[in-house]
Amino acid sequence: MTALLSVKNLSFVKKPKSRWFKKSKGFTLHPLDFELNSGETLGILGLNGSGKSLLGKLLVGAEKPTSGEIYLNGQKLLGDNIKQRCLNIRMIFQHSNESLNPGLTASAILEEPLILNTGMSPIERQNKIEKTLKLVGLLSEHRFFYRHMLSDGQRQRLAIAKALILDPQILVADEPFAALDPSVRSQTINLIMKLQQDLGLGFIFISHNIGLVRHISDRALILQDGKVIETGKAEAIFSWPKALYTQKLVNSHHSLINPKSN
Amino acid sequence: MALLDIRNLTLEIEGTSGWMKALDKINLTIEEGEIRALVGESGSGKSLIVQAIAGTIPENWVITADRLTWKGQDLLSMSANERRKVMREEIAVVFQNPVLSLDPSATLGEQLIESIPRSLVDGKWFWQRAAQRKEIAIKLLHKVGIRDHDSYLNSYPNQIADDISQKFLIACALVSSPKILIADDPTRGMEISTKTQILKLFTKLNQTRQLSILFVSHDLLAISSMADSMTVLYCGQTVESGKMSQLRKRPLHPYTKALLDSAPSFRKDLPPRTPLATLEGSMPTLQHLPIGCRLGPRCPRAQKECVKVPENRRVQEHSYSCHFPLHRDKK
Repeated sequence: MTALLSVKNLSFVKKPKSRWFKKSKGFTLHPLDFELNSGETLGILGLNGSGKSLLGKLLVGAEKPTSGEIYLNGQKLLGDNIKQRCLNIRMIFQHSNESLNPGLTASAILEEPLILNTGMSPIERQNKIEKTLKLVGLLSEHRFFYRHMLSDGQRQRLAIAKALILDPQILVADEPFAALDPSVRSQTINLIMKLQQDLGLGFIFISHNIGLVRHISDRALILQDGKVIETGKAEAIFSWPKALYTQKLVNSHHSLINPKSN
Repeated sequence: MALLDIRNLTLEIEGTSGWMKALDKINLTIEEGEIRALVGESGSGKSLIVQAIAGTIPENWVITADRLTWKGQDLLSMSANERRKVMREEIAVVFQNPVLSLDPSATLGEQLIESIPRSLVDGKWFWQRAAQRKEIAIKLLHKVGIRDHDSYLNSYPNQIADDISQKFLIACALVSSPKILIADDPTRGMEISTKTQILKLFTKLNQTRQLSILFVSHDLLAISSMADSMTVLYCGQTVESGKMSQLRKRPLHPYTKALLDSAPSFRKDLPPRTPLATLEGSMPTLQHLPIGCRLGPRCPRAQKECVKVPENRRVQEHSYSCHFPLHRDKK
C-alpha cells in the first residue's frame, strides 16, 4: 500500500540577503522525509523559528522547495500543477478571524474555491455549501452571515469548512487552536477528530502545545532550527524521548503540570 | 487583613438595548504574599476587573461595589490624586499585549528611566540623578532576567522580541517595589520555554519579595503550576473560587470541571485520540445574556431553579455559586 502523502528529501534554502546597511538572516530547512497514511495525524512540534510553519507552506505549495519531492498517493506533485494540490491539500490558518474576508458572507467565502477549482453549476455549488456547513456543525442559515456575526468557535468551524469544501485528502493546520478559548478549543478538536474518522483525512498538525499534540497525533516530528531532531510514534516520543532537545521540551511540559514533584 | 478586597463589584455598560451588566457581583480577595489566578474565557470580563482595580474604566460606565478596598481604604470614594498615589506606589499593572502598551517612538531605556520616581534618587545635581536612574534601570533589568542590558536599553519596541518586551514591562512595573502585581494575560501566545521562564520569574518575585500576584489568564497549564488559589469567571459572574489544589481535585461547579477537562495534559488516564469533554455552544454575548445563572443554557446539570441567580455559598475556603454543584447532591 502506498502512503497517502510521502515526502522525500524535502529541503528549502533561503539565502541571506545583505545590502549596505541591512542584514537579513538566511534559513535552511534540512532535507527531511516522512509518510502519512489516510486517517492518521502527524504532529509537528518545534519552537518559533524552527521552520514548522515553513514546512506547512511547502506542503500546500505556498513556497517552492529547493529540492526534494512530495508524492500524493504515489503521484508526484509538481510545482506548476496548482489545481491538483488545491484540491487535495488544504490549509487551516492560525487566525481564523483574519483569514475570512469581512466583506463577504459565509456562502461567498465558501463558494470562491468552488468557482475557481470545479466546474459545478450554481445550484450544485449551493448544495455543496449547505452540506459542508452541516458537516462542520453549522446551520444552513449561517451562509448569510458575515464574519462579525459569528462567534469564535463558529468562525473556526467556517475556516474548517473552507478547507473541507473541495473534499481534500489532507488538511494542514498551522496552530489552529492557539487563539481559541479552552472550551471552544476542545469542541474544535473533537470536530476535527470526528471528521477524520468519517472522511479518512490525513491531518498535519503544527503546534507548540505538547499536551495537544500528544493527545491527537499518531506520529510526531520534532524540529529544531530546520533540522528534524526526532520522529516516530507520538506515544513513544513523549514517553521515552531520546534526543536531548525533546527531553527538554517534555520536561518543561511536565514541570508545568506537576510543579510540586520536582 | 486582605490586601485587595472586592465584594459584589458590578459594572454596567450602556448599550443600544439599555444597561447591560458586564460584571455581575464579582467577589475577589487577595491576601498578602499570595498568587491568585483569575481564570475565564475571553469575553468573561477578566480584563474589565483589572481595569476596574486600576481605575481605567471609561467615565460613562457605571461601577458599583459593596467593597472595593485596598488595605482598608476605599478605592472608589478616593480622590483622583490619592488614587493615583496608591496606583503609583503600591499596585502595579502589566496590561495585555506588551508591544502595544510600550511607546513606539521612545527607546526602552527612556521609558524605563521615565518610570523611576524622584523619591528613589537622591543626587544633588541632575547628572548624578541621571546616573543613579540608569543604575536602577540596569539593576531592574537584571532582576527580570535580561542580561544584555546595553543593547536593549537603546532599542525601540519594534526591534525586540515579544517575551523580552513582556519582561521589560514587568521591570517597569517593579520600579516602585509594589505590594501587588496585576498581570493581565502575560503568557499569551508564548512558546513553552519562554512561558516557563516568565512563570519562574513570577514565582521567584513572590518568594523573595513577598509580592502578591493577580495572574489573569486562560492558560490553565500555566496557572496550575504557580498559583495558590484560583477564581473562575464565567460571563461576568464569579463561578467558583478556592485553593488551587482543592479546585483541581474536586471542582464543585460544572463550568470549572469543563474548563479543567478541556486540557488533555491534566488527565494522564485519557487514552489518546478520544473526544474531549466539552460544554455545548459558546459564551453568550452581552446583548443576549440569559437570566439567572448565566451558564444555564449550556450547563449539563441545569434544572428549573437555574433561572434564579444562585447565591454564593461557602464551604470553608471554597466558595461557589451553583444550585446543583457536583459532589454535593441535595439530601
